[in-house]
Parts: sequence; C-alpha cells; structure tokens
Amino acid sequence: MQDALVARGLVKRYRRTMAGDGVDLTIGAGERVALLGPNGAGKTTTLLMLLGAIAPDAGTVEIFGHPLPKARSRAMADVGFAAGYLPLPERLRVGELLGVFGQLYGIADPGPAVAAGLERFGITHLADAMATELSSGQRTLVGVVKATMHQPKLLVLDEPTASLDPDVAHRVRTGLERICEEHGTALLVTSHNMNEVERICERVVFLSFGCVVADGSPADVSARFGQPNLEEVFLHLASEEDR
Amino acid sequence: MSTAAPTAPLQGGSPALRIRAIVRRHAYVQKRAPQRWFDVMVWPMVDTVIWGSIGKFVDQQGGAVRSGAPYMLSGILLMHVVYQSNVSLSTGFMEETWSRNLLNFMVTPLREAEYLAGVILFGLARLAMGLTFVGIAAWLLYAFNVTHAGWGLVPVVGVLMLVGWAISLLVIGLILRYGSGAEILTWGILFIVIALSGAFYTTKALPAVLQPVSRVLPSAHAFAAARALLDGRPMPWGQLGAALLGLAVFVPLCLAYLLRMLRVFRTRGYITRYS
Repeated sequence: MQDALVARGLVKRYRRTMAGDGVDLTIGAGERVALLGPNGAGKTTTLLMLLGAIAPDAGTVEIFGHPLPKARSRAMADVGFAAGYLPLPERLRVGELLGVFGQLYGIADPGPAVAAGLERFGITHLADAMATELSSGQRTLVGVVKATMHQPKLLVLDEPTASLDPDVAHRVRTGLERICEEHGTALLVTSHNMNEVERICERVVFLSFGCVVADGSPADVSARFGQPNLEEVFLHLASEEDR
Repeated sequence: MSTAAPTAPLQGGSPALRIRAIVRRHAYVQKRAPQRWFDVMVWPMVDTVIWGSIGKFVDQQGGAVRSGAPYMLSGILLMHVVYQSNVSLSTGFMEETWSRNLLNFMVTPLREAEYLAGVILFGLARLAMGLTFVGIAAWLLYAFNVTHAGWGLVPVVGVLMLVGWAISLLVIGLILRYGSGAEILTWGILFIVIALSGAFYTTKALPAVLQPVSRVLPSAHAFAAARALLDGRPMPWGQLGAALLGLAVFVPLCLAYLLRMLRVFRTRGYITRYS
C-alpha cells in the first residue's frame, strides 16, 4: 500500500534558528505517528513544510505520491489539518463555515457530512453558533470536525488537545481513534501530553534542534534513551536543549 | 457520541465548487459586517452628493465652459468602478488575515487562482450594487443619467475594473511581504492612481511634472474616453487602445509581483504571522 507521506531531507533555516536540519519522515497508510520535541525543536515548522504552507530550503515532500508544491491541491484533498491554536473564520456560523470547508474539500452538498461530523464529536447544538462565540474547547472540536468531515486519508493535528479540559480532550481522542479505525486514516500529531501520545500513536518521532533524534515505538524510544516512559525522554531532551 | 456514517469519499472536487465556496464565505461576511455595507452604499452616496454638489456649484457660478455636474458625476461613478473592484479584492484577502484564516485555506485543495476568482466574483456583485446606488443617487438628486453616454462606457468600465484588480494584486503582494502594516496601501495607492488619472478633470490640469506619469496609467485614458463619450463625441479608439496597452503591461507586472511575494511568503514562513 502506498505511503501516506514521504519527506526526505527537509531543511529550514531561519535567521537565528535551524527549524529543520535534514528531516526524514515516512508515514505508512493508516499509521499513527506522533511528532514530539521540546518547544522550538521545529515541530510546527516541520508540519507546515509537510503541508506545503512553508517551502523548505531543501528536501522533498510527497503525500500519497503527489509531490509538493507541484501537486499541492491534489495532495491536500486527502489531508485534514487542525491545530489547537488556529482560530475559526469570523462572522460565520459553525454550520456555515463547515459547509464552506466541505465544498473546498469537494463535497458538493456538505450538509450531511457536516451533520455527521458534529454528531460524531457531540456538538450538534453548536451548528447555529457563531464561530467566534465558542469556548476554546468547542473551537477545537469544530476544528477537528472541519479536518475530518471529508474523510481524509491523512490527518495532521498540531497540539489538538492543548488547553482542553480532560473531558473535551477525551472526546477529541476518542473521536480521532474511531475515525482512524473506521477509515484507516493515517495520523500525524504533535502533542505535549505524553500519556495521550502513548495511547493514540504506535510510533513516535522525536525532534531536537530540527533533527530527528529518535524514531520508533514508544517503548523502543523510551528504552533507547534509558528512560521509563516518553515523559522522561521528553524531559531528558528538553534539558539537553536548555544546555 | 455517535458514529454516524459520513458521506462518500471524495477526490478533491472541482475548481468551480471551490470558487463557489469562496463566494459563499464572503457573502456570509458581507451579510454580517455592517462596515462592509458602508463601502457599497454609504460612501457611493456621500461621494455622489459631494461631487455632484461641487459640479452644480460650478455651474451656478457660470464660470465653466462646460457644465460641471455631469463631469463630476460620471467621474464619481467611474471612480467607484476602480474603488469597488480594488477594495472588494483587497479587503476580501485582508478578511483572511484579520481572522487568521490563511492557514485554514492553505491546507485545503484551494488554489491561489481559485481564491482570487472567488473574491473577484463576489466583488462583481458588490460593484454592481455600488454602481446601482451611485447611478440612482445621481439620477434622483441631480437628474444625471449616465446611460446617455451609451454602450461605449462598457469597455471603459472594463478597463477600470482591471485597473482596480491589478492594484489589489499589488497590495496583496505587499501585505504578504510586509504584513498588516501594508494594508493602508489598499486605499493609499488607489487614491494616488485616481488623482493621477484625472477622474474629475483632464490630466492637462495636473502639474506638468505629474503629467508624464498620468500618461502611462490605463485609467487616465479610460477617464478621458468617458469624458469624450459624455460630450457626445464618437468612441475615442486611440484612448481605449492606449488604455489596453497600459493594461497589457500593468496587469502582468502586478501579477508577477504577487506571485513573487507569494514565494517569499512561503519561503520565509510568514504564515506564522497569521496562525
């Protein structure tokens, strides 16, 4: 089966920092991968390069065989993206904005997909709410519906449960797990919640100073660093970056 | 929590569907943003009253060789063609920066050209509304009927629309490169172009040092052509040809600048300004 994502030698240098220093990353179809690392390790820049929103200084990205940036439009049809920090467009009701994004993803009549997405995450009551009136947790849930209603084959999530209360975070995790199981969706997620990562992902990739420093199952990576769990691996790498 | 089955998997849809989605997105904003109606209804009306009254005042003084009011009113109507086409496209894009929505769009199958097409299409509706308001106000308040100029005004309006869009491409490129600080240029560049184009006067009235600049502006030739038509003269094909020649240079230059700034935007990671 074709890989969901293949990135080779991604380099991104900003004026004072190296956000990507030869990042290689392959995600198989249906595979669930976490991209981890301390703040400033280059996670978000890497995600944005993988999505074509930032052009790498060097390296290549292919999504389901479609090279970026040339076939970006075709590639993005198979991708859903949500980020905990990303606001929703102003002056639109939730149902309206999901309808707009549904059409952008090719759903001619987005009504049923919008309704199904809202129901999946238990927020049908928000359909008529203005997007700007939502709490941060509700906004995140709507963002996840936006990213998943077109049944993407690859779901990319940047800190989807950051600043969510445990109940909403649980709802997001459960919904995502079901989507991945039902549709064989590949998942690439960044998170600072290591328990969440160990629960959702079968593989973790640690970034440090823009480089991949570990790639494997949570247990393998923990063992490689001589740490009992991912939380300790994270703290170990963060302390190295602070030095 | 339900596991209701979503609709069938997709293949990314068509450009027409994505353009329609952008039109819908901006229609929702127009519907709910009172300040957007100022551009479409209030400013055209205010401009009509100001310039129509100035023209009437000049007429009353008896100092003008020609009647001033029709010149002023046709000028304001045609100025609004440039204004509405420019402001609709520029503020349409700025709406995405204000609501930090750019990244949301950049990770969908939407292409840049499709986005521009959607905003331009919606802008045409705004333009039609704005011109209708100016036309009705000029007719009701000053008994000025712009249709007396005839079908010759159609290519003039076309030239002015393209000038407005081209200025927007330039402004969007500047915003992509320099951030929100460049937003003011939406109105700044527009009014410089209008002043140099002689919307309400012949460009011979401009200071001598500025006249060569006005000669290269397609809008200056379009306004001159419109005045000729209002005077009842035949279509001045020379002016129209000069306007089209100017557009043939002006539009590709602005488009090239936008594309270059889009590359810079992606290369330097400026999307993080809006996410």
